[in-house]
This record gives sequence, C-alpha cells and structure tokens, in this order.
Amino acid sequence: MFATIKNRFATTDIEVKREDLYKVVVQRDAIFELIFMLREQYDYQTLNAITCCDWIEEEHFAITYILTTSDRKQSFMVQTMIGREDAQIDSLTHTFEQAEIMERDLHEMYGIDFPGNQNLVELSLENWVHTPPLRREFDTLEFVNNNLSFREGRDGNMDVKKEMKRLRALKKAQKAAAKKAKEEASEVSDGN
Amino acid sequence: MDEGFLKEQQVMESDLNSETSHKSSVDFLMDWFRRRSIFVLAYGTGCGAIEMPPTFTSRYDAERLGIRGAATPRQADVIIVSGYCSYKTLRRIIRTYEQMANPKYILALGSCTVNGGMYWDSYNTIKRLEDYLPVDMYVNGCMPRPESILEGFMALQKEIGDGKISSWQKYEDNYAFYRKNQEAVLGQTVAPAYDADWYLYDGGL
Repeated sequence: MFATIKNRFATTDIEVKREDLYKVVVQRDAIFELIFMLREQYDYQTLNAITCCDWIEEEHFAITYILTTSDRKQSFMVQTMIGREDAQIDSLTHTFEQAEIMERDLHEMYGIDFPGNQNLVELSLENWVHTPPLRREFDTLEFVNNNLSFREGRDGNMDVKKEMKRLRALKKAQKAAAKKAKEEASEVSDGN
Repeated sequence: MDEGFLKEQQVMESDLNSETSHKSSVDFLMDWFRRRSIFVLAYGTGCGAIEMPPTFTSRYDAERLGIRGAATPRQADVIIVSGYCSYKTLRRIIRTYEQMANPKYILALGSCTVNGGMYWDSYNTIKRLEDYLPVDMYVNGCMPRPESILEGFMALQKEIGDGKISSWQKYEDNYAFYRKNQEAVLGQTVAPAYDADWYLYDGGL
C-alpha cells in the first residue's frame, strides 16, 4: 500500500506514527483522489475527523482527514496545506456525509470555505461577526477587553505580592521575638 | 455547630423574633408563604447543574425547606444560573427570565457568574451576570456543594421573608440599562422587548 501511494502521488515518506496510525502529506489537488483510493481499495471506510491547524508563520492551514478501516484497527491521516488567505478546499460531503458537520465547524472556527457543502451555516456560535475565533490573528484577550467588563476588586483590595511580603516579615519578627523570649526565660531559670 | 443540619436549623429559626414583626399580618403571611414555597425552574447552565440533583433529591432534600422543582418558567419563582454563561446561553436565560411571573428571583452559582471565573479570557462567555440580569443571591465556589446551595437558598428565603427583595422591580425600572448591555453582546435580536404585550401585536386578540 505504501509503495502504491508513494508511486502514484509522489509525496514524502509515509510516516508511521503508531503501529495503527499512518500519516501522509499530499498536494491539495491529489488529496481527494487519495482518499477515494484508500476508501475503495484499502477499506478505510470511516471518516473520523477533519482537523485544521493554523500555521500562521508559514501562511497556511494544515487540513487533516483522519480515516479508519471498517475493523477499526488502522487509521490513516491524510494531510494537505491550503493558503490562509481566502482559504477554501472542496467539500467531501459527496463521499462522506458526516463531513458536513465537521466542515461547518471548520468554517465557523477558521473561516474556511467548502464549495459543495450545501449546509455551511453556523454550528455553535450565534451571529458571530468578528474574525473566526480559532484563527491565530484573533486576540481573545483584546476581544474580551473591548467587549466585556470585569468586576472591580472588592473594597480594600490589596496587592497580593506586597501583602505576602509584609505577612512573611511579620511572621519572621514574631518568631524571632518568641525565640528571644524563650532564651531570656531559660537564662532566668539558669540564673535561679 | 457551624455547619450541617444543626446550622441549617439555627438559620431557619433565627428570624422568629426578627425586626420585621412590625409588618401587617397580611404582608407577613404573604412573605411567609412565598419563602416557604419556592419553585425552582428545572434549568441548568454550565457545570453547576450537576450539584442540583443531589440538592433536590433525598440526600439533601431541599423540599423540607419548601424548595422544589418546577417544570416551566410560568410556574417557577427562582431560576438558578449555575455556572458560566456563553452568549448563546445568555440569550435563553434572558428569554426564560422574562417569561417567569413576578415575583421572581435569580440565584447565581459559582465564580463564573461573579467575574468570569476560569473563563475570564474567553471570547464567548459573559463575565458579570449582573450586567445583564438582576441577581439576588450569589453562591460562590467552583462548584458550590449542595450545602452551600442550600445555605444560599436559606439566605434568599430570609430576604424574601423580610420583604427586602424586589429585583424584578429593579429589572423593570432599569430595563434600558440591562437591554443596552444585552444588546452589546447579543446584537439587536436579544429577545422580544420585555415591556411589550405580545398579544397586542399583529392585530391583537
């Protein structure tokens, strides 16, 4: 199988991540052909997941399709890179129906377009108008500071570090005083 | 003596000779009835909902204090916001709260409703519940145990019995403030306007 895939798609080596998990990276125009071949010839009949990883420094998304055989003993990760700007890749819904909801997820979280998916509406967010939240240029903390307000601290709120330092010094002084008192007491008893 | 059933007993008996004995008998009776029959909406948001079943079932048995479940918002007196609220949940909570009949109370559980809790930097979770709805009682903890929830309920009951709580009135009086905050996170389509009589629209009844 490895030889066939390598000869036909001329990619880098197939990585054996675990004895039951293989991974291969292919060009985006060959990926669907490879997925069909895995499904038809090698019994990879289930699409487990479509995942996406945002490589902002290299300016691409890594899209991974994870396929599993019908006896659930082998999995195959098929990965391809797509550009971050106007990211789009064809839908897989015509082959695997369960791809619909996974693609909706990626569309919502990364803004990737999937031509061919008939139901590319929002999945878990509502009326989201900002940058898709899992893209790395989306700054969560900045968004929170701009849109939401925090409660101010309680009255008499103190600086924790300062307060801990003060308490530690106080404790030390108390300890020293106690020690001194003990010593004095022992001296007095010795004198007696 | 500071915890457990004895403490609960103490709290229950503590107001027998309280300063509110000057109220008229009718007021006193109404408040007494209200505090002894609190119907809690069967609705849970976030992780805190997991503490509610033990509170209401035989181990802690909230019904001995007059606290029991209600199936619909129209029958309920209290809504428990039991943990973090995402925007999507907040929309449902607002809608549910507005469907409840007066007098109605909100009990908020956990750090998340106070200040975002561990979701303080989440893009999809509100930080302060009281910006959007009037909260009567906070029970802190992450999550509060059923004992804490019961104690929160008893504190709420005490305030109800004293006739001190009128948060629904506060919500109606400051509706512009709440609506503004709600629209800031949910957009224009929060829920139908609170003061609108829905049956007067579309020609009415």
